[in-house]
Amino acid sequence: MTVIEVEDLSKSYGDTRAVDGVTFAVKRGETFGVLGHNGAGKTTTVECLVGLRRPDRGRVRVLGEDPARRRRAVARRMGVQLQEGELPDRMRVAEAMRVFATLYDRPGDWREVMERWDLGHLGGKAYGDLSGGQKQRLKLALALVGGPELVVLDELTTGLDPVARRETWTLIGDLKASGTTVVLVSHFMDEAEELCDRVAVFRRGRIAALGTPRELTGRTGTGSLEEAYLALAEERR
Amino acid sequence: MRAFRSLSGSELRLLFRDPGSLFFMVAFPAMLLVLNSGSDDLEIFVPGYLAMILAIGGIATLPAVMGTYRERKVLRRLATTPVSPLVLLTGQIAAQLVMGLAGAVIVGGVAVLGFGVAPPAHPAALALAFVLSALMCYAIGFVIAAVAPRARTAELIGLLVMFPMIFLAGAAIPREGLAGELREMGEYLPLTQAVTALRDSWAGTPSITTFLLISGIIILGTALAVALFRWE
Ligand SMILES: Nc1ncnc2c1ncn2[C@@H]1O[C@H](COP(=O)(O)OP(=O)(O)OP(=O)(O)O)[C@@H](O)[C@H]1O
Ligand SMILES: [Mg+2]
Repeated sequence: MTVIEVEDLSKSYGDTRAVDGVTFAVKRGETFGVLGHNGAGKTTTVECLVGLRRPDRGRVRVLGEDPARRRRAVARRMGVQLQEGELPDRMRVAEAMRVFATLYDRPGDWREVMERWDLGHLGGKAYGDLSGGQKQRLKLALALVGGPELVVLDELTTGLDPVARRETWTLIGDLKASGTTVVLVSHFMDEAEELCDRVAVFRRGRIAALGTPRELTGRTGTGSLEEAYLALAEERR
Repeated sequence: MRAFRSLSGSELRLLFRDPGSLFFMVAFPAMLLVLNSGSDDLEIFVPGYLAMILAIGGIATLPAVMGTYRERKVLRRLATTPVSPLVLLTGQIAAQLVMGLAGAVIVGGVAVLGFGVAPPAHPAALALAFVLSALMCYAIGFVIAAVAPRARTAELIGLLVMFPMIFLAGAAIPREGLAGELREMGEYLPLTQAVTALRDSWAGTPSITTFLLISGIIILGTALAVALFRWE
């Protein structure tokens, strides 16, 4: 079953063609990676998926709905981590988890999610006093507190230390095992290779390559997704 | 309902954690009261302080909070949850109202119990005047939040509107003490109507005209805020 369908999606900001005719689909339970250079249009695509932006052209369906028109219907079943998007500085970690849980119909146990993301000992700490990586972990935990069928994570492990990054991989693995569909934006090829069933490599608003990590390495005759990505980046410079 | 309760509760806690709003909405009015406690006509001062508390919260704090939430993309983050914008905004208003009420109860309580001010003559009218004045201040605050491009500008415009207003409208000091032209200017300020309604209800005869005027300003301000509001 298809959870996300994107057909010929385009979005411009003034003269900037941020996304230019992108087509892809994500199946239920799949982990789908969105890769590409800075400014390639990853965040813009994600924002169209979650209903924050209205496409100029094309068709977007998420969980069977048009997110631009039925944002809240989609939001009930989806967890989102935005690349930007802060919390009030004086809000505390446990408070944020509890408040976000109350926004959903059937939330998970927020204390348990907090523990799982290693935030238990930070419950009383104010958001503004957290380190960058701690903030990132909180944002990930908040994306999961509603018990979503689909999670969309823009820059999954940016700002995390190597250990936290591996722990995050494990947790994403757990999500996959539980059947959750995951869309993740990442700049780390090892991560995408480890976690993603399929990846789309964005280049200047278009999809330059789409397939399993293995397919992409095969197609480029390279040994790893990282090398494949670099080879793809070299093409059509 | 659950979302409204938890969001407004959380906003309220944030306001209480902010030393600035705690001081200006709760301690500062009480301080002014104590400083003026020698005056014979304290029942003229006290309703003004209530208006001042509401103006500080609604016209200065509220746009600063909304501006910050917009600039730091807190609003966008919330827009990816199932919460409705209406719940978000009414939660914000409810928190402000409770904060304002806390300040008002303290000032009013100290005035009546500590300094022998006569209790409000028309409690029901006073309650209505308080709520309407509050809504009026919030409408003004939301308009400021809507027109300000950045968080800092929202904060600055809020202060620039609020400060002259509380003095010229007779909230911080009774207008009887102002020179002719300054007193004249006060006639045209929305907050003056709030001060009048609160004063008349505390010790005088509440006039329906004032209440209608305030309601009119609320409707106008809300319409303007709705038309101008931006989530980002
Ligand atoms: N709000 C905006 N207004 C104007 N231009 C924008 C806006 N957001 C993005 N852009 C432009 O659109 C293009 C795509 O941006 P986008 O944020 O989607 O890239 P990205 O792939 O997420 O990049 P990064 O890896 O740096 O996060 C860029 O050229 C960017 O400058
Ligand atoms: Mg991005």
